[in-house]
Amino acid sequence: MLFAPAILAAHVVLWHAYRGEEERALEHVVKTWNQTHPDETVDAVAVPYDAYSQKLSAAIPRGNGPDLFIAAHERIGDWRASGLIQQVPESADDDGYLPETFTPLHDGGKLFALPLAFKSLALFYRRDQLAQPPDTTDELIAFARQKRGAGKYGFAYETADFFYHAAWLHGFGGKIFDDGIPRLDSPEAIRSVEFVLALDREHLVPGDATHVLIAQLFNEGNAAMTIAGPWFTGEIAPGVDFGVARLPIVSETGKRAAPLLSIESVFLAARAASSQAALRFAHFLTGADGARIRAIEGRQTVAARAVWDDPRVKDDPILGAFYRQLPDTIATPSVPAMALIWEPVQNALRKVLRGAATPAAALHDAQARIMASIHLLPTPVSPLPYAIALGVFCLVALIYLSRRAASRLGQARKQRAAYAYLAPAAISMAILVFVPFAVGASMSLYHHQAGRFTFIGLQNFISILSLREIPITDPLSFYFTLGVTILWTVANVTLHVILGVSLALLLRNPLLKLRGVYRVLLIIPWAVPNYITALIWKGMFHRQFGAINGLLSLFGIAPVSWFSHFATSFAANLATNVWLGFPFMMVVTLGALSRIPKELEEAAALDGASAWERLRHIILPLLRPALLPSVILGAVWTFNMFNIVFLVSGGEPDGATDILVSQAYRWAFVRGSRYGYAAAYAVLIFLVLVIWSALARRLSDKEAEA
Amino acid sequence: MATLSVQSVKKSHGAATILKGISLDIADGEFLVLVGPSGCGKSTLLRCIAGLEELDSGAIVIDGANVTQSEPRDRDLAMVFQSYALYPHLTVRENLAFGLKMRKTPPSEIVTRVAEAARMLEIEPLLDRLPKNLSGGQRQRVAMGRAVVRRPKAFLFDEPLSNLDASLRGQMRIELMRLHRQLSATMIYVTHDQVEAMTLATRIAVMKAGELQQVGTPDELYQHPANQFVAKFIGTPEMNLIPADDARKLALVHSLPDGTAQVGVRAEDVHVGHGVGAADAMVEVVEHLGWEALVHLRIGALALVARMKDPPAVGARTSITLDAAGLHFFDGTGARIFSSNDRASAQRARP
Repeated sequence: MLFAPAILAAHVVLWHAYRGEEERALEHVVKTWNQTHPDETVDAVAVPYDAYSQKLSAAIPRGNGPDLFIAAHERIGDWRASGLIQQVPESADDDGYLPETFTPLHDGGKLFALPLAFKSLALFYRRDQLAQPPDTTDELIAFARQKRGAGKYGFAYETADFFYHAAWLHGFGGKIFDDGIPRLDSPEAIRSVEFVLALDREHLVPGDATHVLIAQLFNEGNAAMTIAGPWFTGEIAPGVDFGVARLPIVSETGKRAAPLLSIESVFLAARAASSQAALRFAHFLTGADGARIRAIEGRQTVAARAVWDDPRVKDDPILGAFYRQLPDTIATPSVPAMALIWEPVQNALRKVLRGAATPAAALHDAQARIMASIHLLPTPVSPLPYAIALGVFCLVALIYLSRRAASRLGQARKQRAAYAYLAPAAISMAILVFVPFAVGASMSLYHHQAGRFTFIGLQNFISILSLREIPITDPLSFYFTLGVTILWTVANVTLHVILGVSLALLLRNPLLKLRGVYRVLLIIPWAVPNYITALIWKGMFHRQFGAINGLLSLFGIAPVSWFSHFATSFAANLATNVWLGFPFMMVVTLGALSRIPKELEEAAALDGASAWERLRHIILPLLRPALLPSVILGAVWTFNMFNIVFLVSGGEPDGATDILVSQAYRWAFVRGSRYGYAAAYAVLIFLVLVIWSALARRLSDKEAEA
Repeated sequence: MATLSVQSVKKSHGAATILKGISLDIADGEFLVLVGPSGCGKSTLLRCIAGLEELDSGAIVIDGANVTQSEPRDRDLAMVFQSYALYPHLTVRENLAFGLKMRKTPPSEIVTRVAEAARMLEIEPLLDRLPKNLSGGQRQRVAMGRAVVRRPKAFLFDEPLSNLDASLRGQMRIELMRLHRQLSATMIYVTHDQVEAMTLATRIAVMKAGELQQVGTPDELYQHPANQFVAKFIGTPEMNLIPADDARKLALVHSLPDGTAQVGVRAEDVHVGHGVGAADAMVEVVEHLGWEALVHLRIGALALVARMKDPPAVGARTSITLDAAGLHFFDGTGARIFSSNDRASAQRARP
């Protein structure tokens, strides 16, 4: 009986990814609610941001998810289609929200979330460098011209990032979607890109700027203005006197640059256990009382209109600036097709900025690619023939296996203990390797969209392998990527072996002092986690601030834009991976060298062989058998070396340096969750490596015979 | 073929001095054996000659040319290693041909010379095998063939027979002697086995602790060891050494040269007999070797070995004498004292 009240009481679980003051403010709101509503308590659970949406889509359909969760509004369309969220009934309180933050939470005329806060970009500026922020782009350009100097800028932002560029696109009158159809090649869009290109060509903004670099420039006073979101305040160094203002008016159109607006909202999860209590709390959290706590303690730009009458919020210089920007924002489209926009447009921006295409040509390409990926939806196919084929195959395999087993059954019975010992390993292998493989392989026969898998037979493979959709010269083509991957593998393994063997031979020299020290130093690249190395090298290859261009400039060589051309970008990846890979070959070679008797070399020396001839005729042939397995393995590792390609060049330029695995990753996670297509890529990668290992086995068998 | 000269060669590894100034002349066609206990520096000396070790001081001269600073490849010497050091990835034929190929010998000549060497060492059926498919004795032959085929100025052997079993070793010794006669080549051979040294050498150089003890023909070393070390090292069984005091007390010897500390006598110079200088001995152990036996005798605290055709029974007491002509006298430092015996043999040697 004691437990009865607890069972009757509703308990609401809320997921969020807040940290710091936002998290503390949220907890304050929850505490306030729990004090007044002891029978409808709320439990706020912080979930790491990185895996947030994956966790949602994994937990909610299985009933393990929260009742409420906090997320940006952009995926309403997606989540609605995949049944992750429920409709929220409209109520009289809804007038209390700022309309800009409330309207975008509808999909098909139905409300799906309640707005918590809005986040958009705005103009950050250093008060010590300019008293009054520019209100038009002409003013901005004039100021930037005046400030321009060696390593100094009046203005800096991530020019190649579409998230930032969208503000200009809207300022020039362009739209991402026109009547629900992507329209990235409109004359307005082209004008906006031309505008940025002019800024770049006049060196009014730094090229290839990354988020980290911008923060550094701004903090050091080498950039007087930047475009950034509210999160940027946390990155400004203490003591920097800064202000926030609206983005300027585009002088050409007279329209204010309008950044994308992201509305942090609270969603009612499908299968929520206590949806009524959850909704009541959601209204409290988003309503004036909850919002006031969040605005004042969590410093959020809240969606509740009433709070903006409070002078503590209204007169806050930062919150107030974002509030003033709000009317000139465009809510990020929440249709599923938005996911297909980013990559092609970013590629187009980069292509333009490095001078590889005109704005018009690049945007037309991007538009074509977006339309193609939207129309690529294959027709569903009956799985029956495949099921029959699979059934027949299984039947044949079963008959074959049982026949073999029958003849060996007597033997197997005798070795029962041996099978028992093998069982744990065999079972864990089956669970960890074969089951995921089978799931992955069967996924390649499906098309995925918005959480729904449609059986389409071999169409993914046909689309990848036929040249109908993507010409062979396009970096997205399977054959192009396969060629790059093979080139990548061959170049890497060759350099690994040459460098590893040479260094091992040097280290073997008994006259070399401090041999032990060198050996340890040379193994270090291998000991450092490779993503750290990759990020260091990426930094070193930066066009403007990287160490490599710095070194080249000492010799009077003009800075190279490493990731703008296939050859240099490929070379950057190669340099990084060679740096990571040679120690392994060196260690293998050192081991193999220690097993070659010294007398063989001495005998050869007496036989009249020079040092080079001894190496060529005695040492290298004797190293071969030891190196061959490492080369075979190394080739497989390099073939699938995702980290380096993804982190260093990121496929730049235009996906040309992507290898098969990173391409597969992009199909799955960048280009609109095409899991089936990516799985088909994975199956093809598997087949290529099966062929390779068959070849390699023949090669090493031949070696063993010799 | 060539003469070879080692001139005051010194060599040390860190604090350890390996060679303390070795000088040695090797005549054309000579079979010189470097012998000594392990660690005496004989292998190091051979490696110095080959050019595999650098000298601290001194010189190596081949055919009148100083090669001290030359690379091994420029000295034109061939070496047979203890481990054979056959190239494992090459067939026997390729192993033999390697040195010729490196020296840019015309292919047709390589073929004939490989065939010739293979015939000489009876390894023709093995030519297409890899070293791992050969027995120890076959590898040994291939290693020698690899040296022979080169026709070098001199052959260097570093304990080449020590990895073979006893019967094979005996066989290979004969083979080596035959080879030396056929090629009439200069050969330097390192071993710790004095039997090998005695049977193979035209001249033996005995080394101890980095120093030459004596250089001479096997006969000279056996008959006139320059010191106690050589006396004990050369010959089986070891030479008997009798302290001078015991020799006097037992009256085994008529007269001792001045300064004698030890009297040496070989087993074959200990006889059963009576008369002047006879001593009463007890037979402790008899080692039967077939046509002769080694008899271990004891006279008080003194132990002697005698070589006899008709050994007395174990436990028997017998009277023994020493052959006066077979006595060797050594002073307190172990050096030989020249006596009338030496003069007599010197006269015999000089006709």
